[in-house]
Amino acid sequence: MIRNLFFTVLLFFISIHVSASGIDDPPVSYSISGHVSDAATGEVLIAANVYIRELGSGSVTNAYGYYSITLASGSYSIGVSYVGYQSFEKKILLTENQVLNIELLPKSSEIDEVTVSSVKKNQNVSSLEMGTTQLPIQSIRRIPAFMGEVDVIKAIQLLPGVTSTSEGSSGFSVRGGASDQNLILLDEATLYNASHMLGFFSIFNNDAIKDAKLYKGDIPASSGGRLSSLLEVRMKDGNTKQFSGTGGIGTISSRLTLEGPVFNEKTSFLLAGRRTYADVFLPLAKNKDIRDNKLYFYDLNAKINHTFNDNNRLYISSYFGRDVFKNQFAGLDFGNNTITIRWNHLFSSRLFSNFSLIHSDYDYLIATPEGEPNAFEWNSNLKDHSLKADFSYYANPVNVIKFGFVSTYHHFLPGNARGTGSESLFTELLLPDNYALEHGIYISSENKFGRSLSVKYGLRLSGFQNVGKATVYNFDANYNKIDSTVYAPGDFYNSYWGLEPRLGMSYMFSQTTSVKASYARTRQYVQLAQNSTAGTPLDIWFSAGKNIKPQISDQVSLGLFRNFISDKIETSVEVYYKKMSNTIDFKDHAFLLLNPELEGETRIGKSWSAGIEFLIKLNLEKLNGWIAYTYSRTERTIKGINNDQPYAAPYDKPNNVSVVLNYPFTDNIQLGLNWLYSTGNPVTFPTGRFDLMGSVLPIYSKRNEYRMPDYHRLDLSLTWSIPPKQGKKWQSEFNFSIYNAYGRHNAWAINFVPDETDPTKTKAELTYLFSYIPSITYNFKF
Amino acid sequence: MFIKLIRTLIITGTIFLAHSCTEPYDVVLDSSYTRLIVYGEITSDTCVQKIALSKSADYFYNLPAQPVTAADVTITTGDSVISLLENPQIPGTYETPAGFYGLEGQVYSLRISNVDINNDGNPEEYSASAKMPFVVQPDSIGLNYAVYPFFKGTEILLYARDPAETMDFYAFRVLRNGVLLTDSLPEINVQSDLLFNGNYTYGIQAAFLDDEKEGEKVLGGDTICFEMQGISEEYYKFIIEAQTELFGSNPLFSGPPANISTNISNGALGFFTAISIKRSYAIAPPRIN
Repeated sequence: MIRNLFFTVLLFFISIHVSASGIDDPPVSYSISGHVSDAATGEVLIAANVYIRELGSGSVTNAYGYYSITLASGSYSIGVSYVGYQSFEKKILLTENQVLNIELLPKSSEIDEVTVSSVKKNQNVSSLEMGTTQLPIQSIRRIPAFMGEVDVIKAIQLLPGVTSTSEGSSGFSVRGGASDQNLILLDEATLYNASHMLGFFSIFNNDAIKDAKLYKGDIPASSGGRLSSLLEVRMKDGNTKQFSGTGGIGTISSRLTLEGPVFNEKTSFLLAGRRTYADVFLPLAKNKDIRDNKLYFYDLNAKINHTFNDNNRLYISSYFGRDVFKNQFAGLDFGNNTITIRWNHLFSSRLFSNFSLIHSDYDYLIATPEGEPNAFEWNSNLKDHSLKADFSYYANPVNVIKFGFVSTYHHFLPGNARGTGSESLFTELLLPDNYALEHGIYISSENKFGRSLSVKYGLRLSGFQNVGKATVYNFDANYNKIDSTVYAPGDFYNSYWGLEPRLGMSYMFSQTTSVKASYARTRQYVQLAQNSTAGTPLDIWFSAGKNIKPQISDQVSLGLFRNFISDKIETSVEVYYKKMSNTIDFKDHAFLLLNPELEGETRIGKSWSAGIEFLIKLNLEKLNGWIAYTYSRTERTIKGINNDQPYAAPYDKPNNVSVVLNYPFTDNIQLGLNWLYSTGNPVTFPTGRFDLMGSVLPIYSKRNEYRMPDYHRLDLSLTWSIPPKQGKKWQSEFNFSIYNAYGRHNAWAINFVPDETDPTKTKAELTYLFSYIPSITYNFKF
Repeated sequence: MFIKLIRTLIITGTIFLAHSCTEPYDVVLDSSYTRLIVYGEITSDTCVQKIALSKSADYFYNLPAQPVTAADVTITTGDSVISLLENPQIPGTYETPAGFYGLEGQVYSLRISNVDINNDGNPEEYSASAKMPFVVQPDSIGLNYAVYPFFKGTEILLYARDPAETMDFYAFRVLRNGVLLTDSLPEINVQSDLLFNGNYTYGIQAAFLDDEKEGEKVLGGDTICFEMQGISEEYYKFIIEAQTELFGSNPLFSGPPANISTNISNGALGFFTAISIKRSYAIAPPRIN
């Protein structure tokens, strides 16, 4: 039924555009199209502004640097601008379809690039997007970093509406959502655990990354599968002009990236590696057992792309990263692996397409040494294989139609624990594999009516099909297992389908002022079995099914955007309201690991979040950065939790302030500053106590009735660029940073513990992870 | 066993990364209403079996719990009803006669009356029941002196076969020269046979006596008694939950704090359980180190 409805809407959509183009298009029209790239490296530039001066409108390059504008025949001035690059302008006489590939020259200093956005100056006002931020890697690099490790996700956490899930964690909450409600893509491949070292570092090696874009709610119709946000991270393509390298030696890790053309400019490669070296010092330990320990993580990014001709390009990219920890008792090894193969094909200058084959997997393994009675091995794995096709039809300068589909085959292996070696006590505990197909078909369009009003509208049909072989447990109303049903291999035993409308509009009062509104419905079919706020690498993903309905979110947003001083100061106010159904939480003392009856531990309900986000972005002559304030609330009501009464969601932190500033004192010295403030996380504290077996045990308040102390922190950095010697390619800089510069003891946890001398007495104790942390990083490129 | 091992593993990893610190924290907590607290074990040993009754208090009450005195406490098994008498030396502790012992497979019902916890002038009644599970007799135990990077002590190695036909839950306790060492809630080691149902234990480490802890350093000639206790699944969960809340929480591993489950009716807290006990002994050899 829903599928039929979708296809009816799809046909209607196309027919409207076909008829509209017939009316609006001039009798003779031609396209000017091509790619916009960096003249120094050949890297394509995403979201560069391509502008037709005579029309007062234009287009932006897509994720592959491609643009296409269809115009009536005539003479035009085409301009291209991208922050950090010298603008390009050219007169053209359009009497036939033309290909114009444009290379922009970088400005001499990177200082100009240190802005939140890389696109045209009033893009924040004129674009239809809201709740969206694009962060080029140059901006991220100038933000003071934890232990000197430049981190995409830590930068994202400084944006309005985004908070970290706990001190130092790579987990983040967007507009009150859970961390598993963020879809994190690296070159289109889903990352199921984007962190290293229990979340303290993200998996993104900044030398291999081109940019990151966060959608906080206004998620395009081309994407789906998560309720709260989409974080798109794109790897560099590799320098097509010359062989070059970048790298760094830091407190925690060192990294090296090599890139360059292969034979000629048509093919380029990128190879990036990063590894920590805490374990390098372990052999110095006196104790032999410690000497043999292992503790490190590493990342490898590889990419190769080839331009066959103006109409065909091929990109193959891959990520592989592992965390390894091993001592004499046990070892833990986990990581992600992704491969993305993409083919850009131009059916015509007006019809751009991209076809992707994507593989993603996340796995972990825990093992103890063989030869002992307690020897065991425990592994878990989640694999995705996706086929994706995206099309962009550039109907005219003010109308782009996008459509496509994606199908993903999920294979969940939630856990297999077994004894190893003949002396092991343990038998095998195998949680059955689960299989599912997830689909998305979408169409969307952007239209501009006159010079002021723009609208976008899209529709996504998403579906999820559970596929046998499977064992599904059946539960009564109290979540007690009744029995189980076994489904044969290939049996499509359960399906969910749903429409996800995405709407947006923008009205420009002037070149400096606009008001925008958006509505988005999103559906989520896989989620994390995670009961803690920060989580561990052992948390597993589980899917919708007969016992778990898909989570659904409806979000409306309204925003006012206003720029000052020739767009040097950008301001915005956005309000949002998000209503979510089939929200998942877990019962008290839930048992989530190696539990075949995991679904019986869930409790289902509804939730909402609302907030107002203020943002001031500074793109001044020298001072750059932003100041953001967010007031938000988020609440859940779930049967079986907190006596069925509403309670604050785990990431409900009403007041959030972030100040991110960068100031170049001289051409060679820059100062960076972050200051963060947020209300403390909601927590459950004891209000009563009882004595039992010699210990004092707690009787708790309502769920999340109390709060941790407020969080605030100042980070500072100073970057000293060493001028390159004349005629030498080697450039380098030192980055000195202090995390938590005034050494505030921000609460990581608050526990209630017995007094050391009198066990009948108890006291509250605050645990903090970090005081101030200084670090030095040496970065170079050649 | 898996969960504890993994928790240790990851916590160790965290310590490598960052040395967390603690400091006192001032917090004002709300009051909570008073509840009856019950804890009682019926064991297969022939001895005085005890039921302890007390009252809950506000969290920072910071005094020993108030006993609940003059209650009527009975235990019923089959057709027999035993009235427990309050020990005049230990108010709030109600005892069976000295020759009482529990039997495996038997159901014991606890009834408490004549208490007015909410002070409304109307006495309340509370009840609970517990079935004593079967537990196997360990074949033997072994003692192994072990030195690890950060601690050293005596490992107690268990040789026993878990019954294949049942889902079994165990608690392990250790006595050195007749003195119970694992006498507090944090030290009770409870296990389920989820991952070793029907298997032989082949000398797995079932307990560890830390040289640095008072009374745990094992010397040559010491008699080590290992108690293998059969416990119910509900009691196993109760101990796990109580230990979880006792050990505190952190954002990595802990779910939201939650009240500990109970099998006592009418809003009381605590637990009433029946435990079967089998023992194995070993004499410690002379220490080399």
